[in-house]
Amino acid sequence: MNRLKEQLPSVLVATLSSAFGVALLSVTGVLSQAIASDDAVGGGTVVLMLSAVAMVFLAIAVYVGAVVTANTFATIIAGRRRTIALLRLIGASAAGERRRVARSGLLVGIAGAVLGTIVGLALSAVLTSIAVAGGLLPRIGYEIAEPVLLLPIAAVVLTTWLASWLGSRSVLAVSPMEATGAAVEPTRDEVDSRRGRTVVALVLVVLGAALLALGVLVGLVSPLGVLIGVVGGLISFTGIVLGAHRVMPVALRLTGRLFGRSAPARLAAENAVRYPERSSRTTVGLVIGITLITMFAVAMESYRAILHEAAQAEPELYAGVDQLVDATVTVFTVLIGFSAVIAAVGMVNNLSLSILQRTRELGLLRALGFTGGQVRLMVLVESAQLTVASLLVGLVLGTVYGWAGAQSLFGSMSGAPGIVLPAVPLGLIGLLVAASAVLIAVSSIAPARRATVVSPVAALAVD
Amino acid sequence: MAVRQRLRSVDGMAFNHAEAGLVARVSRLSKSYGSGQNTVIALDGVSIGIRQAEFTAIMGPSGSGKSTLMHVMAGLDSATSGTAWLGDTEITGMADAQLTVLRRRRVGFVFQSFNLVPTLDVRGNILLPFELDGRRPGPDESAWIERLIDSLGLRDRLGHRPHELSGGQQQRVAIARALATRPDLVFADEPTGNLDSRTGREVLALLATASREYGQSIAMVTHDPVAASHADRILFLADGRVVEDRERSSAAEISRFMLEMEATA
Repeated sequence: MNRLKEQLPSVLVATLSSAFGVALLSVTGVLSQAIASDDAVGGGTVVLMLSAVAMVFLAIAVYVGAVVTANTFATIIAGRRRTIALLRLIGASAAGERRRVARSGLLVGIAGAVLGTIVGLALSAVLTSIAVAGGLLPRIGYEIAEPVLLLPIAAVVLTTWLASWLGSRSVLAVSPMEATGAAVEPTRDEVDSRRGRTVVALVLVVLGAALLALGVLVGLVSPLGVLIGVVGGLISFTGIVLGAHRVMPVALRLTGRLFGRSAPARLAAENAVRYPERSSRTTVGLVIGITLITMFAVAMESYRAILHEAAQAEPELYAGVDQLVDATVTVFTVLIGFSAVIAAVGMVNNLSLSILQRTRELGLLRALGFTGGQVRLMVLVESAQLTVASLLVGLVLGTVYGWAGAQSLFGSMSGAPGIVLPAVPLGLIGLLVAASAVLIAVSSIAPARRATVVSPVAALAVD
Repeated sequence: MAVRQRLRSVDGMAFNHAEAGLVARVSRLSKSYGSGQNTVIALDGVSIGIRQAEFTAIMGPSGSGKSTLMHVMAGLDSATSGTAWLGDTEITGMADAQLTVLRRRRVGFVFQSFNLVPTLDVRGNILLPFELDGRRPGPDESAWIERLIDSLGLRDRLGHRPHELSGGQQQRVAIARALATRPDLVFADEPTGNLDSRTGREVLALLATASREYGQSIAMVTHDPVAASHADRILFLADGRVVEDRERSSAAEISRFMLEMEATA
């Protein structure tokens, strides 16, 4: 029962990812059909661009879902260490235990993909009929389900499987000694592998940044530059995710100072920094979410800026394009909100899981004389610190990626002004701060309540 | 259990474990943690043998090295120097995969904190070693498991989860799991540490019965003289060395010896 409950957030994430992918490709198909039916725009290039954009969005959504799922699995396994240690003690092999986790990952992926396909197709049908009714799209017979939709479905199943495999790598590090209650020192292998990870992360970031720059330059002559940029973005971001245990503590140390010097605030700040693995696992989901939203918004804003200048340079070429741009922006705005939900689910889930797993530590604080209010405050400050740090990192990364994306995709449009400055919508930052505040509150309600409801004695008895 | 007759050279001498009736043995075993000035010596050249079909208690105060000794003998922890055998298999220096199979098939564990898998019911927990081995118990083994379930009084609890059981019942499930594969040796680490004294006595009587009636070899680590008084043989450890090896003794005698040990330390 417990196992199933642990997997539900991952099923939800896989469902959202595949719904996103299916709806996206389906809607793109509909838009292409609309454009093809309208000779006035004559948009062979526009259809090409739309398809490129759809693929970009799909790759990003699947990637986000995979990272969030990998982190969820890693968090679940951190909480199951003791059981795994026991199984290892009785004679389970580490590889066998990992295969078991990966098998449940495959099932999660399949369940999510099936549910997501249904939701995605429904969403696409509803959006299309709304757009037709509102006059945004011409009234022709649209094909909602196309063979290309198999792509996101397969991608979600495979990446969820892969994510569960990657997220379960810590199973290999569980020592059967842990089940005996004896203290286990970190082995040299673990320390070494952490150092190796930092080096790999650094290489990926540098390589990814270089490709990103190349994408921007190629983008000045062809919209295909965006494909190089996407590869660069994925590589550099993977580097940042891998190196999160080095990046996040820096941001956390900065934000830890914001919450005063009271005992709960100090403990919260220490907690977040002392376990870099745990806090980076918790924050990575949110960093991705905020990066994503910022990236889409900045890309959209920069796109408008480029289009605006291009339209001024060659008014006759861009005469009929305003309405189409509006439709595109409307649809994509909905999709932006959708992908933000994926990241938010991951964040809430990871934070509550990781705090629920610390029942014993919170019980100790209660036994030492912390009031229920102080424990709640500590949990709240901790989640606030994690959220604010993620917000800062995400805003910076998102601005860079969004600008690079817009620049490489639209830089070659006829009449485009070459390199433009990144356009940052200020309203978006306010919205993100407000949404983060809600996230902080939501993600700390359940664990804080649980932490104060359980009696200190019962909490200390938990293994 | 198949009698192993192979000869093996130990420290230059021929040594036949089966003939000596030893189910496990360590020779000049040392284990230290840390390095330089912070070195802590947990075991200091220990050489002992656990005899076939006997209930052996390993006693000693906290920090005497008794848990470390058990961990090395069970293949959970590595030794700094010296060798450990299970039967005539040398386990020091074995790779993790081999140790895993060894633990699965030839060793059983009973712990202070029961250590049952919370998501499995009683039957699931008892059959876990077979499941991990990727096989079902044969007819012979099934009959043995049913007999264990009856003699441990678990028959009407088979569908319960660990959290629905009392401490004593949980420990009986753990004992059934440890005995189910008829391992060469069962390690029990303070098996009565979390139980009240009456339930604790019942558990000790069950272990003694398993050794006497089924010929099960058991090594129990404890610091409780009452627990040790149920054993056939008692080994005393202090500061990482074996200081006494005596036959069955009463709790009073064991307590007296431990107090003397304190006084001379």
